[in-house]
Amino acid sequence: MSDRWVERLSEYLDGELPVAERAALEAHLESCSDCRAILAGLRRVAARAHSMELQAPRHDLWPGIARRIGATPARDTPAGRRWSFSLPELAAAAVVLMTLSGGAVWINRSNISAPAIAPVATGSGLPTPTPAIHANRSAAQSYAAAVADLEQVLAGGRGQLDSTTVRVIEQNLAVIDRAIAQAQRALNADPANLYLNTHLAETMRRKLDLLRQAATLVPVS
Amino acid sequence: MLLTLAAAVLTLAAAQQVDTTVAAQRGQRLQVNAFGGDVTVRSWNRDAVQIQTSTPGRQRVEVSASATSISVRTQGRRGQHTEVDLRISAPAWMPVTLSGVHTNATLEGIRAPISVETVEGEINVNGGDGLISLRSVQGSVALRGAKGRISVYSVNEDVQVTSSAGEIMAETVNGEITLEGVDAANVDANTVNGDIAYAGPIRNGGRYSFSTHNGDITLTVAEGSNANVAVSTFNGEFESEFPVPLSGTRKGKGFTFTLGTGSAQVTLESFQGTIELVRPGGRKDRERRERRED
Repeated sequence: MSDRWVERLSEYLDGELPVAERAALEAHLESCSDCRAILAGLRRVAARAHSMELQAPRHDLWPGIARRIGATPARDTPAGRRWSFSLPELAAAAVVLMTLSGGAVWINRSNISAPAIAPVATGSGLPTPTPAIHANRSAAQSYAAAVADLEQVLAGGRGQLDSTTVRVIEQNLAVIDRAIAQAQRALNADPANLYLNTHLAETMRRKLDLLRQAATLVPVS
Repeated sequence: MLLTLAAAVLTLAAAQQVDTTVAAQRGQRLQVNAFGGDVTVRSWNRDAVQIQTSTPGRQRVEVSASATSISVRTQGRRGQHTEVDLRISAPAWMPVTLSGVHTNATLEGIRAPISVETVEGEINVNGGDGLISLRSVQGSVALRGAKGRISVYSVNEDVQVTSSAGEIMAETVNGEITLEGVDAANVDANTVNGDIAYAGPIRNGGRYSFSTHNGDITLTVAEGSNANVAVSTFNGEFESEFPVPLSGTRKGKGFTFTLGTGSAQVTLESFQGTIELVRPGGRKDRERRERRED
């Protein structure tokens, strides 16, 4: 992964490479499966970010989170937020996205002035950070905090939900937790595996999504 | 205009059989909020919305109209939640928003944006044009004959899109995803515990992403398709009905290959399932269809 082009993929994705460099990178992509894979991963993260525009919180949490993970917050473009990641940030990027969406729900439900970032929780139950995520511990902690917040909302509203619905949600959270555990074990054995990093992040996102969905079912008293 | 903007409210209470018709005009959206029951919305060729119910009991059906919407809301006579079966006829051009809890939703023939959300109920939609969002927690979601930006979501059941075109995002946690007879340049299908099947053309320049943790992925690839295909699995298998020109490997059990010009980007990820490429109409494609029909 010392490929000199790796750090330019984000610019390429944003259409900001000079013509000559763009052509050179495209030629390089023809022969480099690693760069193609990373580019595909970046595109997915960007697509996920784009799809989440409508769920943006009233207060922008991104600058604070970006500072913590060391990602470069780029200027907003007419098309929406632009994301710039270097390779070590790729896996954490998905976690950050999760945190953003989870934080949005937390803020909306709480109807209070939002802090720049969700409070840090103990992280119990959070998978051991992998090397890729390790450098972005605060993002992982923010994820844990978002999960904890949503679980608290759910726990508080449990009595107001249909028992069948609660059972189904718990069963599906268990399905996701098993998948997270399996992905984590695989990642422990192969920490540099890009697929496992992104798969773990994506599965963790699914847990947040389900918690968010479940939290919206709780009647607001 | 003031007259148009003034909201007209009609309350139909506690009747054994409700049957009312409200004039509709373009620019209005049909909004249905039904806590429980079977709600059916069918298109007809009149610029009006007809609401019918024959559910016995002490329910209320409230119908209100404004410049931008015709709203139908059901509730028990004293405001408590109740289940009411609704049959609604609406113009095909009318966008529909339907929400419920213990609500099964069936929509037929609407050629406009559709949004349906239910917690414990199935969603079956034939039609839709534009933004289409179908979400159920405990029920299956089935969409056919739609065109536009499609988002289908379930938690605990299967998701199916057939004979549709546009941009497709399909998600479930514990269920299968079937995309069959679809024509889309942008597809994202994601489940945790279930199979994914895609049968449709791979468009030049398109992006197709399929991911499952515990399930198989079957992708139908027509001859002449142009795609850069990235395959990733940790503990699964890869099979192809046709020779695959490997062009590189990725760490783990992942690899990439290019078909034709490689114009489209296809990502296939299964943590511990089989990823399979088949030809349309080939033996495996036929077997898969037969299994589905059983």
